[in-house]
Amino acid sequence: MTALEKTDLTAGARPLALKSNQFRKAREETWRELEALVARAEKRGVLSLGPEELERLPMLYRATLSSLSVARGIALDRNLLNYLEALSVRAYLVVYGPRVRQLNGVWRFLTTDLPRAVRQARWHLLIAALTLLGGVIGGFLLAQSNEDWIGALIPGDLAGDRGPDSTADELRREEIYAPWPGLVASFALMANFLFSHNTLVGLLIFGLGVAAGIPGLLLLFYQGLGVGAFIALHYNRCLLVDFLGWLAVHGVTELTAITLFGAAGLVLAEKVLFPSRMTRIESLASQGKLAAQIAIGAMIMLFVAGILEGGFRQLIQATEWRFAIGGFTGLVWLSYYTLAGRRR
Amino acid sequence: MTLEATRNSLASDFLEGRAKKRNSIAITAPEGVTLFFNLADVGERATAFAIDFFIWTVATFVFYLIMVFVVFGAFKLSGQIGLTVALSVMLFLGFAIRNFYFIHFELAWQGSTPGKRAVGIRVVDRKGGPLTPMAIVARNLTREVEIFIPLGVLSSLGRSNSTAENLALAAWMLLFSALPLFNRLHMRGGDLIAGTVVVALPRKLLLADLVGAETQNIFLEKHLRAYGTFELQILEELLRRPGAPDAVQLRREVTDKIVKKIDWPSKVADADTLRFLTDFYAAQRAHLEREQLYGKFRADKNAAVTTAR
Repeated sequence: MTALEKTDLTAGARPLALKSNQFRKAREETWRELEALVARAEKRGVLSLGPEELERLPMLYRATLSSLSVARGIALDRNLLNYLEALSVRAYLVVYGPRVRQLNGVWRFLTTDLPRAVRQARWHLLIAALTLLGGVIGGFLLAQSNEDWIGALIPGDLAGDRGPDSTADELRREEIYAPWPGLVASFALMANFLFSHNTLVGLLIFGLGVAAGIPGLLLLFYQGLGVGAFIALHYNRCLLVDFLGWLAVHGVTELTAITLFGAAGLVLAEKVLFPSRMTRIESLASQGKLAAQIAIGAMIMLFVAGILEGGFRQLIQATEWRFAIGGFTGLVWLSYYTLAGRRR
Repeated sequence: MTLEATRNSLASDFLEGRAKKRNSIAITAPEGVTLFFNLADVGERATAFAIDFFIWTVATFVFYLIMVFVVFGAFKLSGQIGLTVALSVMLFLGFAIRNFYFIHFELAWQGSTPGKRAVGIRVVDRKGGPLTPMAIVARNLTREVEIFIPLGVLSSLGRSNSTAENLALAAWMLLFSALPLFNRLHMRGGDLIAGTVVVALPRKLLLADLVGAETQNIFLEKHLRAYGTFELQILEELLRRPGAPDAVQLRREVTDKIVKKIDWPSKVADADTLRFLTDFYAAQRAHLEREQLYGKFRADKNAAVTTAR
């Protein structure tokens, strides 16, 4: 085709000025710079950026956001729009990502957040404690009159050799006043096993809070039944005081922890059942973090209980001292949860 | 959805398919601009979890081997006792590692874990606020209940003698685990509690602008009345794929259609189709953008011009 055959419409070589084209030319450098910074922060973390770059980042981010607003208004270039949308999202995540020093966070949690969260859930705590207590009483009454219940109420691997066939002498020798098995074995075997078993049960009680709390409460009650059955077993053999002392060393901490798990589950359950003006999902999210704080606190307590149980229980053979330790731990937890983290 | 969001979405729906399009969540940044986050789909999250799970398994196994050496070597425990000690320590370590693994990485890597990073997804706050450490802890604590305990129950199905009971338990627990399949935002139980959602990180390249410095063909107002934004963006897609196998033929067909529709006075040779389409694209975009400045937006060729109120 020669130039002569063309109409003047195709004569060509005219300059073209597009608003969106100029807009892009003026700002593209900013976007590219932001893109490079964001890519680096995504790969190696925000801290890999130098001080000057860190200063540039929010400026570039805001400039790009404003570009996005303009582009949504004027640009019809799909690639450009998609690029700006994606870049803004990525930059937003880098600029507003969590930036907490983990150690500071842990300290703040222990000194302030945790006791406050527990105080906030005191009614839930009361309900959970009453449920557990109900379980203990129920288990005691059942097993005291008929010891066959013990097998049904306590899972085999937790009961060990203890059961209706045990004599008072056996219990005294192999359980309550059993010799200390030595550092490694006692810590490793018992503390670990009990810690992870209890934590699983606790987390289950907590997680089941989402299911309106009933399954969690049932599980809590069931835990109480087991404890009650054990107490009955020893009561029937006139070992009640010795057994309670044996239990107090770690039991005060452990049962409080299980109750805390129950309370955390109830916080969730309350928000599911009574969402007030929010949707159920929003309502759950509003208190979920509080519940999680309580559950973490309970996990820490279980850890402490595991150490007390594995390490100290058999080391101390006098019942009076055992009660003293139990009472002391109870006092420590009580004052920690009621006094720590209050504003002066 | 806002007008801005719909402008782009007609062509996107057509090109990417409405069915395959991801659910998205609108989050308003503190600067007042609404950003659209694409949600990670269930497959991506399962892949990310599988990678993390693999890393966890290997790490736990390595620790177990070390423990066996320490227990048998240093403490001179032998036989049954040594094995039990090593096993119980491993149980504890496995528990600790899998909980701290997720919490640590999501804290340190801003809502991402090695698995999530490999897949390109990330945890964000549903309301657009900062992702707090407590939210991360909350969403990972429930992981134990949602995933690891059901896994344990499933793996013990064959061995136990009370199968019916365990089966019921497993089914009930799997309902929990399958929660992400049943809600639009693909939230796990942990996400519900923590107020978080998992999004896919978008990666888009900025390609060169199709509008060059100058133009060969000159289109008049009357040539540019035929099409709207939708057609413009479809044309853009065609021009951005010059290397596609059927691109030459497609360009020929599209050129013929446009020539016919706008009543273009001259013929376009095969070799000139790219030039013609590029010029037409530039002129059409200039036209539509100009109209838009006057408040007249046109979605596609069938749509009437809407005037912004």
